[in-house]
Amino acid sequence: MDDYDKTCLESALVGVCNIVQQEWGGAIPCQVVLVTDGCLGIGRGSLRHSLATHNQRSESNRFPLPFPFPSKLYIMCMANLEELQSTDSLDCLERLIDLNNGEGQIFTIDGPLCLKNVQSMFGKLIDLAYTPFHAVLKCGHLTADVQVFPRPEPFVIDEEIDPIPKVINTDLEIVGFIDIADISSPPVLSRHLVLPIALNKEGDEVGTGITDDNEDENSANQIAGKIPNFCVLLHGSLKVEGMVAIVQLGPEWHGMLYSQADSKKKSNLMMSLFEPGPEPLPWLGKMVQLGPISDAKENPYGEDDNKSPFPLQPKNKRSYAQNVTVWIKPSGLQTDVQKILRNARKLPEKTQTFYKELNRLRKAALAFGFLDLLKGVADMLERECTLLPDTAHPDAAFQLTHAAQQLKLASTGTSEYAGYDHNITPLQTDFSGSSAERI
Amino acid sequence: MKIFSESHKTVFVVDHCPYMAESCRQHVEFDMLVKNRTQGIIPLAPISKSLWTCSVESSMEYCRIMYDIFPFKKLVNFIVSDSGAHVLNSWTQEDQNLQELMAALAAVGPPNPRADPECCSILHGLVAAVETLCKITEYQHEARTLLMENAERVGNRGRIICITNAKSDSHVRMLEDCVQETIHEHNKLAANSDHLMQIQKCELVLIHTYPVGEDSLVSDRPKKELSPVLTSEVHSVRAGRHLATKLNILVQQHFDLASTTITNIPMKEEQHANTSANYDVELLHHKDAHVDFLKSGDNHLSGSSREGSFKETITLKWCTPRTNNIELHYCTGAYRISPVDVNSRPSSCLTNFLLNGRSVLLEQPRKSGSKVISHMLSSHGGEIFLHVLSSSRSILEDPPSISEGCGGRVTDYRITDFGEFMRENRLTPFLDPRYKIDGSLEIPLERAKDQLEKHTRYWPMIISQTTIFNMQAVVPLASVIVKESLTEEDVLNCQKTIYNLVDMERKNDPLPISTVGTRGKGPKRDEQYRIMWNELETLVRAHINNSEKHQRVLECLMACRSKPPEEEERKKRGRKREDKEDKSEKAVKDYEQEKSWQDSERLKGILERGKEELAEAEIIKDSPDSPEPPNKKPLVEMDETPPVEKSKGPVSLLSLWSNRINTANSRKHQEFAGRLNSVNNRAELYQHLKEENGMETTENGKASRQ
Repeated sequence: MDDYDKTCLESALVGVCNIVQQEWGGAIPCQVVLVTDGCLGIGRGSLRHSLATHNQRSESNRFPLPFPFPSKLYIMCMANLEELQSTDSLDCLERLIDLNNGEGQIFTIDGPLCLKNVQSMFGKLIDLAYTPFHAVLKCGHLTADVQVFPRPEPFVIDEEIDPIPKVINTDLEIVGFIDIADISSPPVLSRHLVLPIALNKEGDEVGTGITDDNEDENSANQIAGKIPNFCVLLHGSLKVEGMVAIVQLGPEWHGMLYSQADSKKKSNLMMSLFEPGPEPLPWLGKMVQLGPISDAKENPYGEDDNKSPFPLQPKNKRSYAQNVTVWIKPSGLQTDVQKILRNARKLPEKTQTFYKELNRLRKAALAFGFLDLLKGVADMLERECTLLPDTAHPDAAFQLTHAAQQLKLASTGTSEYAGYDHNITPLQTDFSGSSAERI
Repeated sequence: MKIFSESHKTVFVVDHCPYMAESCRQHVEFDMLVKNRTQGIIPLAPISKSLWTCSVESSMEYCRIMYDIFPFKKLVNFIVSDSGAHVLNSWTQEDQNLQELMAALAAVGPPNPRADPECCSILHGLVAAVETLCKITEYQHEARTLLMENAERVGNRGRIICITNAKSDSHVRMLEDCVQETIHEHNKLAANSDHLMQIQKCELVLIHTYPVGEDSLVSDRPKKELSPVLTSEVHSVRAGRHLATKLNILVQQHFDLASTTITNIPMKEEQHANTSANYDVELLHHKDAHVDFLKSGDNHLSGSSREGSFKETITLKWCTPRTNNIELHYCTGAYRISPVDVNSRPSSCLTNFLLNGRSVLLEQPRKSGSKVISHMLSSHGGEIFLHVLSSSRSILEDPPSISEGCGGRVTDYRITDFGEFMRENRLTPFLDPRYKIDGSLEIPLERAKDQLEKHTRYWPMIISQTTIFNMQAVVPLASVIVKESLTEEDVLNCQKTIYNLVDMERKNDPLPISTVGTRGKGPKRDEQYRIMWNELETLVRAHINNSEKHQRVLECLMACRSKPPEEEERKKRGRKREDKEDKSEKAVKDYEQEKSWQDSERLKGILERGKEELAEAEIIKDSPDSPEPPNKKPLVEMDETPPVEKSKGPVSLLSLWSNRINTANSRKHQEFAGRLNSVNNRAELYQHLKEENGMETTENGKASRQ
């Protein structure tokens, strides 16, 4: 029977867990605020019971903590510290924070329970968890005060060698621009709205310029709306040009600014954070190695803007881009042998591809110590030679015999003929002058 | 998120003893006869691979997948063991590729079945493996150097994968003991060395392989801790494809990989080009690409256990239409992939399609039938990545539009000009190190920032705030003056530009000065030119310290520009309302020339916007004693000398010039200090312009591009 009239913190946490995951998935940071009177419930479903059985959980009734998404659990106790300490309530609640990998905090009321003290407790939560992140967006001498929303979270690169969380600078410095096609949907840690704000002399926020019901604010916002702001200029040009601005967030930490359209009419300046590190995107290379195009000998984007220096090609090709030889499945080996055979039947026209495939097979067979295959393919080529029709070009027979002979020599494994870098080259015949291509 | 986990270093130790030359007893047909040629021909006898060949190709496949997915920071050291240990490569990044390993293996060749088995042992290789694990990799070295006193945080862990043919369980135990012992000894050695690191953790994976059809003499054993440093597991595997399957499973376990099967790939049939069938391709990648499935626990929906292996693959459907590359997807992760069956036709069709620069969106099949695009396959520079696209609800739903915020009501931003500015300030990689004149390393990114600084020294954001940037005639000068250094040709072009402007002024050509929002006809022609010259001077002055040639441009400008006689200046002022006159006189009396530029009426359009804000500033200025608020100082305030010049009468150009330069130079630092003092780092450029003109403005008109 479902009981909704008794304290059952575990069910509440499970509920939160499900809702958050259904709505936002597992990657969005979420602050969970638990408001409680500090009583933990009684019997089954009480927090004491939940914690006592914590070690006996199976996968199906897993305890909801730690939350399966980045989270902070704030426990707001409508009770003061002394009351909580008189029982084991505080210990149990602290266990909850511990179970959430230490992410979170417990708030208690200072002094007697009254509206003012409760307000002050929530005030503390607001200060801790909901302070807006103010920054200055800079592009050389062009600047704008901005609020970054949601607040960027600190990031730990490697808990072992660099356990201190990285925090982003309050100076967001644009270092240059890149075409959207070149940045190419990069992976990001998080994304944030960059809202221009108007600050008064004391540095307090006047408003984001968004119209509000409040009349004073209204006029202040209207003024702010009419003062040229760098964010708006930047946003407009990024949108029109289809570009992003690369922004430095801290030492070895970068992000990008771009225009994000919510609908046809509404669009916004957004900032996405790359993973900290010297090379967040392999196709851009090391960030510090990115420089102004004017330093290049010739414009890498071409005079007509028809080329691009990106993406950067890695030194070594991946297996799928370099025609590697894999014979784990018999079909792999058979395909490679068939290729040789097909070209053998079209000699001398296919001399070049014939030897290319032959050498590829030879190399792999030598590396895998699969010398029997070399003998086998040699036998096969000799047989092909005997099967040549009368109409065949005389060069075909010479090439087949030559290739078979070379494979046989390689299959002895002696260093003279079995060198990995040695290639079998076409036999130079009287016929090969014009028809056979060179390797 | 540990860089230096066990997976950082993998040592392969492959047995090269005579026994490994034995056949695996699994036949491969290699002579597949084409139908119409089979008559009367007996196919060649099938061949079979040796235990050695099976071991080598399976370990190469392990490395292939690993290098595809982790081309950096995951390193392999390959050791072959017979009468001694042959170390085929080192930990250096250059040695980390298949070609190097294949070449080295070819040099070793297959085991010699006639060698004396008594001399040969896998132990040589295991000892060498421990030794090599103590050797520091370039990544470890780099991290240690970087961490200085915290160098001990850099871990040294590793894995030894040993493929051998063991005689019995006790033989296996003997091998384990040997590794244990060797680690102990080498850790002692490493403790006293700067070049070696003690092994903190070593995972020994012993794979006993034997011909198909034989009974195994060794039993499987799951991972077991032999000591705090060493864990060991034993796999007894038949050779041939069983061994390859085992290593495929291991590479997934060792590197946290997961499998995705792309289904419904439309592909042209080889034989019938006009028909197409749908194919599936299985890819491996880091398991984080499935993070959304794993966390939300609905992987059972699409996961299916494939026959022959225990691993699961998640099915994602090929999605048409394809995506274009101008779209910026919200992507939360991108992971390199490796096809399971790299050379199969479907795999190579898919990879070639992607390598040609096309991207494909992948759809997650859902029970409900709703369509959710969750991934994207895309290649970047010859590497294919599986991008994870965010498919859950955004927390930034329905945000206010930028047009509703600060500066959102301004309609005459120089969008096109800033677009041009962005294109000029695009980035490009500089892979070869460059050096400054003083020999220190030049950081390209710092150069990029320098350039932005130069290009924005004078950059009005809105059209109605500028004259010169609305004039085609100024472009040749404006585009080069921002450069760090000028060529003779540049200087010449700048001079030509200036002469051209003089010519225009002589001909009394109209200027594109914004008249929007002004009462009456707007400023007179001569005044327009004065505004234009002043603005041009501001631009050039912002760059005179770049080089001597920049100074020459200013020199030319100063010599050429017309200076209105004082009388005219007075007359002009007389046109203004008295109170206004007073204020501006007092406030900016030092900046005569600057002021003359400011009190033009062409800025009227924007001024109404700042009216309320200005009220405050006006109060300060009303009192003659109040100092100019520091943050209200204009950025360009070097023009403090013109009055002196004007009164001098005939002066030589040289003295005029040096006078000007000297004064200008002496003021420069002050100017920057003024900016530093500005409130909240906000450089309020030309604030005073607005203030003075604001009073004259009545309507806020929308300036349009001229």
